[in-house]
Amino acid sequence: MIVGDLARRELEQRLNGSGLGIQFGPFNLRIRSNLASFAALAHQLYAPYPMLEAEAISDFHVAIASPPGLRRWWRRQASFTLDGRSPFAPYTVEHAFPALEWGINWCVATRAHHLLMLHSAGVERDGQAILFPASPGDGKSTLCTALVHSGWRLMSDEFGLVRPEDGLLLPLPRLIPLKNESIDVIRRFRPAALIGPSFLGTRKGTVAHVQPPADSIRRAQEPAKPRWFVFPRWIAHAPLSLMAMPKSQAFLKVATNAFNYEVLDETAFRLVADMVDHCDCYSLSYSDLDEAVAALDELSRDA
Amino acid sequence: MPCSLAGRLLATPEGRRLAWQRWDGIYLVYQPSSAETHVFNETTALILRSLEKGPLFAKELKQLTEDSLGIEPGGLGADEFEFATSRLEELGLIDCLDEALAVR
Amino acid sequence: MLEARENRRARELLLTALRTPERLPTLPAADWELLLRVARRVRLLGRIESDLSQAALLEDIPARAAAHLRAARNVIEHRKTLISWEVNRILWALKGIEVPLILLKGSAYLLADLPPARGRIFADVDLMIPEERIAEVEERLVESGWFKTQIDLYDDRYYRVWMHEIPPLRHQERGTEIDIHHRLLPRTSHLRSEPGPLFAAARPLADPRLQILAPADMVLHALVHLFLEGDPDEGLRLRDLVDVHDLLCHFGQLPGFWATLAPRARELGFERPLFYGLHHALRLFATPVPPAVLQEMANAAPAWPIRTLMNHLIARALLPDHPDHPSRLGNLGRWLLYLRSHWLRMPPGLLIRHLSRKAWLRFRGYRKRIDLAQLDLKQQ
Repeated sequence: MIVGDLARRELEQRLNGSGLGIQFGPFNLRIRSNLASFAALAHQLYAPYPMLEAEAISDFHVAIASPPGLRRWWRRQASFTLDGRSPFAPYTVEHAFPALEWGINWCVATRAHHLLMLHSAGVERDGQAILFPASPGDGKSTLCTALVHSGWRLMSDEFGLVRPEDGLLLPLPRLIPLKNESIDVIRRFRPAALIGPSFLGTRKGTVAHVQPPADSIRRAQEPAKPRWFVFPRWIAHAPLSLMAMPKSQAFLKVATNAFNYEVLDETAFRLVADMVDHCDCYSLSYSDLDEAVAALDELSRDA
Repeated sequence: MPCSLAGRLLATPEGRRLAWQRWDGIYLVYQPSSAETHVFNETTALILRSLEKGPLFAKELKQLTEDSLGIEPGGLGADEFEFATSRLEELGLIDCLDEALAVR
Repeated sequence: MLEARENRRARELLLTALRTPERLPTLPAADWELLLRVARRVRLLGRIESDLSQAALLEDIPARAAAHLRAARNVIEHRKTLISWEVNRILWALKGIEVPLILLKGSAYLLADLPPARGRIFADVDLMIPEERIAEVEERLVESGWFKTQIDLYDDRYYRVWMHEIPPLRHQERGTEIDIHHRLLPRTSHLRSEPGPLFAAARPLADPRLQILAPADMVLHALVHLFLEGDPDEGLRLRDLVDVHDLLCHFGQLPGFWATLAPRARELGFERPLFYGLHHALRLFATPVPPAVLQEMANAAPAWPIRTLMNHLIARALLPDHPDHPSRLGNLGRWLLYLRSHWLRMPPGLLIRHLSRKAWLRFRGYRKRIDLAQLDLKQQ
């Protein structure tokens, strides 16, 4: 059963009561909210995601709700809580949806230490994955969104989840938050993509969420083999360039940016070293999304 | 507290238990005892590897490193050598053996 | 009613898991889910992992629960490495100066390989050195790459004038903090805490540059830590009582240990913490305390109304609430015990100033909540 099978009212009742159980890749979430505006967005944007079976253990109990007490009357706020505790200052109620989405990422980043968590987007085709490690402002989300709307499967827009037992990449196909100009870039690139409302003036500027293709969400339990590291950079008017990157440099970029490279000790060193050793590493600069997608398509055809 | 050129140097037990990965003439070295990942150049890596076999006087070590690097005797600057050894000592990978000879 | 029932269920699950881990493989999924939540709150996930791992039962529990336990274990193993390494580097930095260096709490359990080290999370390195040697040690560490962590003038003065430790030091390249103590309790404490006898009785480790407290002293320190270093949100740390239980089971096998415990508590002025600690360890974990010791301690008990009230508060504060049903009574109990622990540590005038400052900082959101504006996920 998927969230879209629920009537809007039923979804709202669950959010208000025992919580909406929803599966995001390896993680089971239970989400509560007393905000009608949140329920409406969840009904639309979470529609293709599977709901939890009755017997499933939830990994994270999160809520986005107006805080109790007097404060709710003079300023409408939404507070993110994990297990009943609120690690962050409250948000204005209009930003409840991005706040919850962000909060869920925070849960994963701070708790899922049974996996190596690279800070990286990832897409897959024919069982082989490209990882796009993050550095701020490089537009990995934009490129990743363009690729998943061009025949690639979304692994994740934020997390390169590596299973220590076999070094395989686990999918976490969540909504992709686009920022500022990228929203219009993607609207032009793929008008058919389902994009949620734009939230203005969040702590990260304007944010809008793209729903991944249904196929990526359906195959959220299907791991992939890391095959390429591509370090993308969007540069205005730049010609396309895809150049081999020295492995030592790739290693350092991947390791220093990971969420929990340090925590996993030698396991992390070995995993990252193996991945970098077995993957082809490139730096990519581009200004045109179609050109970048074509170049990466070609890369995968040659493999 | 660098060892002077008169002192003897030795790899610590921690300095012998490392995981090495070499690419493009750069060494990525994982130290299980401290959970740190180091980046060493050829010189630093050679110094450490030479000391795995047993203690050496700093002078001998310097000559051996120059040999391995294929540069002429004295080609390795004393300051570069001392920087590498004192860094390795700070990381707990090598140790000064002769306390009395070590200059603080 | 629902609240009370759910809170009872949460506590019973936690205690059952700690007392009889071998029964965990039969736990239904819904109970696992709640157990993971409460055990995480009191930071005992690692303990449960370690118990199951020892009994080779990790394969027999739901995979999703095992993943959470694995995550806890990975963090713990990493912290253990960092703590041991920090001690290694401290010894390197102090090469050539002879100073008695007593490891305290987690650092001691870890380096001496004592049972409480199992599955326990370690935060900082805690050391005790004679007060007159502190300046020298601090100077040497600062020369060798450590720095004094940034704290404001109020905090610095508070530490130097009133406390039992100096402001924490941290190495430039590593994250672990070193807390250097010169006594077990603040100077201002109502309880005496002359460090002389502790140094005299300390035991060397295999590496003779390091020492740990004598068995009875170590138990008493764990109890003092449990009852006097509370946290207003967390109440009394159940994991500290687990430490005490482990230490008592371990040292209890040594000849003469039980005979020295109560007299030592009297000598050091820690009878009350020992009285309450034995009572609750026995009640929650059935710690094998000889009847003679309990009888001896009965003389140290406070008068019954206080005793009953305290035992009730302690019982409430040691165990967590159900995360979805926080109990107001439990919160009140935790707050009262926090006040009491500060009461015992400071004279009233200073206490009011200190607490009002803490409350003010909390009101301003200082260190309490993270503002996401400056943060990327990565920095968490």
